[in-house]
Amino acid sequence: MTQELQIELNGVDKHYGAFHALKDIQLAIPKGAFVALVGPSGCGKSTLLRSIAGLETISGGEMKITDEVVNNVPPRHRDVAMVFQSYALYPHMTVIDNLTYSLRLKKTPKAEARKIAEEVAATIGLENLLDRFPRELSGGQRQRVAMGRAIVRRPKVFLFDEPLSNLDASLRVHMRKEIRALHDRLGATSVYVTHDQIEAMTMADHVVVMRAGVIEQQGAPLELYDRPASQFVAGFIGSPAMNFVDGVTNADGTAVTLEIDGAPELKLPRQVACNQKVTVGLRPEHLSISAAGQGTITTKISVIESTGSTTYVGAGDTGKITIVLSERRDISVGDTIDLSINAKDIHLFDPHSQMAI
Amino acid sequence: MKRIRSSIIDGVGFDLVLVGIPLVFLLLFSGLPLVYNVLMSFQEVDLFSLGEVFRPFVGLKNYRALFAQPEFWPIMWNTVIFVFCSIGGQFIVGFGLAVFFNTGFRGSTFIRGLFLVSWVMPGLVVGATWNWILAGDFGVLNYLLSSIGVISENIFWRSDINYSLWAVIITNIWLGTAFNMILLSVGLAGIPKDLYEAASLDGATAFQKFWTITVPMMRSTTGAVISLGLIFTLQQFDLFAAITGGGPANSSNVAQYWAWELSFRQYDFARGATISTIMIAVVMVASVFYVRSTRHEVRG
Repeated sequence: MTQELQIELNGVDKHYGAFHALKDIQLAIPKGAFVALVGPSGCGKSTLLRSIAGLETISGGEMKITDEVVNNVPPRHRDVAMVFQSYALYPHMTVIDNLTYSLRLKKTPKAEARKIAEEVAATIGLENLLDRFPRELSGGQRQRVAMGRAIVRRPKVFLFDEPLSNLDASLRVHMRKEIRALHDRLGATSVYVTHDQIEAMTMADHVVVMRAGVIEQQGAPLELYDRPASQFVAGFIGSPAMNFVDGVTNADGTAVTLEIDGAPELKLPRQVACNQKVTVGLRPEHLSISAAGQGTITTKISVIESTGSTTYVGAGDTGKITIVLSERRDISVGDTIDLSINAKDIHLFDPHSQMAI
Repeated sequence: MKRIRSSIIDGVGFDLVLVGIPLVFLLLFSGLPLVYNVLMSFQEVDLFSLGEVFRPFVGLKNYRALFAQPEFWPIMWNTVIFVFCSIGGQFIVGFGLAVFFNTGFRGSTFIRGLFLVSWVMPGLVVGATWNWILAGDFGVLNYLLSSIGVISENIFWRSDINYSLWAVIITNIWLGTAFNMILLSVGLAGIPKDLYEAASLDGATAFQKFWTITVPMMRSTTGAVISLGLIFTLQQFDLFAAITGGGPANSSNVAQYWAWELSFRQYDFARGATISTIMIAVVMVASVFYVRSTRHEVRG
């Protein structure tokens, strides 16, 4: 069964003068999906979002919102709502006026507009703040008003441009859940831009990883985590980041020798090309410390960072290999330890193309 | 002594010195003359008592005499028209230009800078130039208006009592527009771009964005520009001296020019001071509005 598509991008390009900001973007977003666009700054994720909003005109390709080509449709006719990083609340209007702004433009009767806004305000906990001005609100409250302003319109699509980056850490975690719950309750389609891979992983059904104007990989969060298509995605998804170690495959392609002290050999889950230089990816959480002589990698502890629940261990000369331990171990800096990893958790990348092998 | 010295070098004393210098300057060169002017408006002043500070006190006699003069009300009315129309014209044209240059096309900042040329020109030079433009028989303004069919015969802008005040107003609008535009441009630049983006997504047209975002967000700037405009317009003297000399038959005379005429042409310093005192009161009201509007800046 093919799902009904809400947003469809076919070969979308965007140029700013000589700068190629979006390169041949292919993206299909089904109705009701929560899609996260994630990547480092300057990767084009915000440009892509703003293009969907109509705030940027695309230079090439085709963009559809519910089967209608919108390449040249101005923002006000696209029926999309956006929550800005800066919230972009109208500073000269009270909360209620901010919420009803779009309705007033549509000449909705005053009483009706107020009723709709009050209902929305109640669902997101703003009912006591309706007569305040934005400057009289805290960051979290402003964030809610920005969301409320989007919800009031009942748009086809919600666009979020790093909405949580101005909030403190604990509020961010809370709002993360709230936005997702809201999305589910409204049955809306949402596109969410963030540079924080945890936000993307925890909130979205579908994660799009971008770099330098190109979609590196897209898929379900765990799919990206389990089967990263490139070294970039592997390093970007997951926290702390994946360890990368140079290595060479052996004569029959069933094991890889790491180019670190002791030249340990790791068994591979499947056979690959023999005598080939590779980059080996090992997730910190997949490495475990085993009893002396039992592991495959013998190394020395150089850093220990304990957060109570988890311990981050840096091993090797400069703490090059990171290991995450969820249980407490009696270890200290300078100890020699043996590390082991399951063959299925080993990722291999081509050192030249950086693509997964 | 040592404590005072160290306080001046790195303490509260330094702040007091910084505040004190301009304060003394203002009191000496603005405050005292103002007080002297107000005092003079309640005294009997003639050429023999010019050098004295304490002259016979006459109460409101100067005011009563001034109000009784037949030209008083026409001149006050001229002043109102001059101030109102000058500010209105400067503001509307200035705002239009500010919005235009705020679109940020290539070279917009440079061209906007060029507009300041009009503002740095001395009023007398501006007046002399506009005398040519406004000239009845060979003036370019008449030529322009008759070319586009607005007028059928030449208007003698400076010598026709129906137009003389307008000759000065037109020139003053030209002179003050650049100042308005620059201040309003600063205000426009201070409105975050994302408000317009949010409004576009909320369904606003360009016109609706202007009325619901630009105009209200410019309220404090507008208040400041108009209050300053009022003060500058009431100060405008050069253009009257250069273009009409207040004539013909006081048809273009305004309070500030009349005050000068009374004091320095007719040597009636008491009445000159009386007009000035009335104007001080008006400017003080404008100042209060100015201070209030700059204090009530609305920014996200």
